[in-house]
Amino acid sequence: MQIWSPLYRPSIWSFRTSIGNREVGMDMWQVTTLAARIQESLLNQDFVRAGIFLGGGLAATVAAVSLLGLVLVYAERKVAAHFQCRLGPMRVGWHGVLQPIADGIKLFLKEDIIPTEADRLLFVLAPFFCILGMFLAILVLPVSPEIQIIDLDMGVIFLAAVSGFGVFGVLLGGWSSNNKWSMLGAMRAAAQIVSYEVSLTLALLVVVMFSGSLKMSEIIQSQAAGWWIWRAHGVGLVAFLVYVIASVAELNRAPFDLSEGESELTGGFHTEYSGLRFGLFFLAEFINMVLASAFAATFFLGGWMPFHLGDWQAFNAVMDRIPPLLWFVGKTSFMVFLFMWFRWTFPRLRVDQLMALEWKFLLPVSLVNLLVGAAVVLSGFYFFS
Amino acid sequence: MAVAMSTVFFYLLGALALFFATIVVGSKRIFRGAVALMAVLAATAGFYFLLGAEFLAGIQLLVYVGGVVVLIVFVVMLTGSLGLMEDTPSFGRQVVAGLGALNFFLPVFGVLQFSALPEISHEAVALPGADVIGELLLNFGKSGYVMAFELISVLLLVALIGGLVIARKGGQRREEPT
Repeated sequence: MQIWSPLYRPSIWSFRTSIGNREVGMDMWQVTTLAARIQESLLNQDFVRAGIFLGGGLAATVAAVSLLGLVLVYAERKVAAHFQCRLGPMRVGWHGVLQPIADGIKLFLKEDIIPTEADRLLFVLAPFFCILGMFLAILVLPVSPEIQIIDLDMGVIFLAAVSGFGVFGVLLGGWSSNNKWSMLGAMRAAAQIVSYEVSLTLALLVVVMFSGSLKMSEIIQSQAAGWWIWRAHGVGLVAFLVYVIASVAELNRAPFDLSEGESELTGGFHTEYSGLRFGLFFLAEFINMVLASAFAATFFLGGWMPFHLGDWQAFNAVMDRIPPLLWFVGKTSFMVFLFMWFRWTFPRLRVDQLMALEWKFLLPVSLVNLLVGAAVVLSGFYFFS
Repeated sequence: MAVAMSTVFFYLLGALALFFATIVVGSKRIFRGAVALMAVLAATAGFYFLLGAEFLAGIQLLVYVGGVVVLIVFVVMLTGSLGLMEDTPSFGRQVVAGLGALNFFLPVFGVLQFSALPEISHEAVALPGADVIGELLLNFGKSGYVMAFELISVLLLVALIGGLVIARKGGQRREEPT
């Protein structure tokens, strides 16, 4: 029986020096992924190097996720506080920078409660589904030309596919708690996520159409001349707005936080969770916010691509000096700030308003937008072409 | 090395799929069955990936894990509570079900056992990417599938409208008595 492993097929994770037959001009970036590095080491029979890459990549991912969790908890509390003319955490460390660590220790030390009437196995499993969905999405995240784990040919489809695990975790957590608030929260969350996924995918499809690829690195490379948000006469902008609204809804964040509206449902699907398991749900939620921001940056704001203005040579040269990693972090941080800003700006929607917004407004808008986008692609009528 | 590794992955995935499939059938709690079903479908996606059909693997995850299983879970949540258990089927039913399963298993096993299937290496079958699949789906003529594509679209549209009609009727009936 001959079955062969995808790890050894050069076409998936091959090095790319140019982006095929597309004319992009300007600069070409060489994308090297972790998988490509491991593959290269294995081909050279250098197992130690491959092991180091594998272990290092794993450790770095886990470390980055935990660190990001801490930073985001602090950022959220500070941003929220300043929007409300408060100071936020100030006591632990300088301006309260050590507060998230204190919070983390508190979460670790809390008693881990499982309700007696709950389905124990599924109750324990639920947070891990959320974490699994999160880590799977990180797999295709292009942080910089040097930092990406796998550059799948089916990157966008993979991304859309793994978001299902997150929904599953929420549903599982809510149902297995055997608590009506949890159950209602989970139902609301899942209905909301499944509905808004439609608009989200349609918005992404517009970018896939523009760049003619499902591969993350190629989508970024196609934005060398200009980011998709403004290159296509407003189509990109509409797609971006739809993406942002839909992803706020998908993250279950305010103003779409019906699934955990504390005044109606105490805590939504994680009412019965405490201690570390609650922490895992929370971590997944925060990291998913970063991921949504990062993919918004990737699809619409050029990812790690520097900002270029037409043929202003001097300006472009200065922008090229800034490393891609910094561009990525800057764009992602801006998007994260935007999500936090939303939370303290808009009041929470009602359930019927939520569904009406998606099915009666966002979906028609994104469908029409897709059609207009197709016309733009067929006529090749871009800015900075 | 490559072959050895993929063989290991194949048997690993196969064992996982079989294990979870028995849970799907055997578990008395419907919800756990649904969770195990998700694992089976994800393992199937793993097989596709192992065979180099990444597009199919992605679609498998997207449609089955993200769509079908979530729908099943939704239905279970709407209908039952945590205590919902399946009844133990009667002996006659078990026999009939066993015969049905054998009816499927024996022909498949027999065909696989007694026929020489060609061994196809991955060089021989170049699996197309999404762009090729897209072009084939929208091509007409000998190598295109636009007819099938359109028929499926119409079928889905009919199902969608049907769903809407059923949902609307339920709403009206509830309003009438008040």
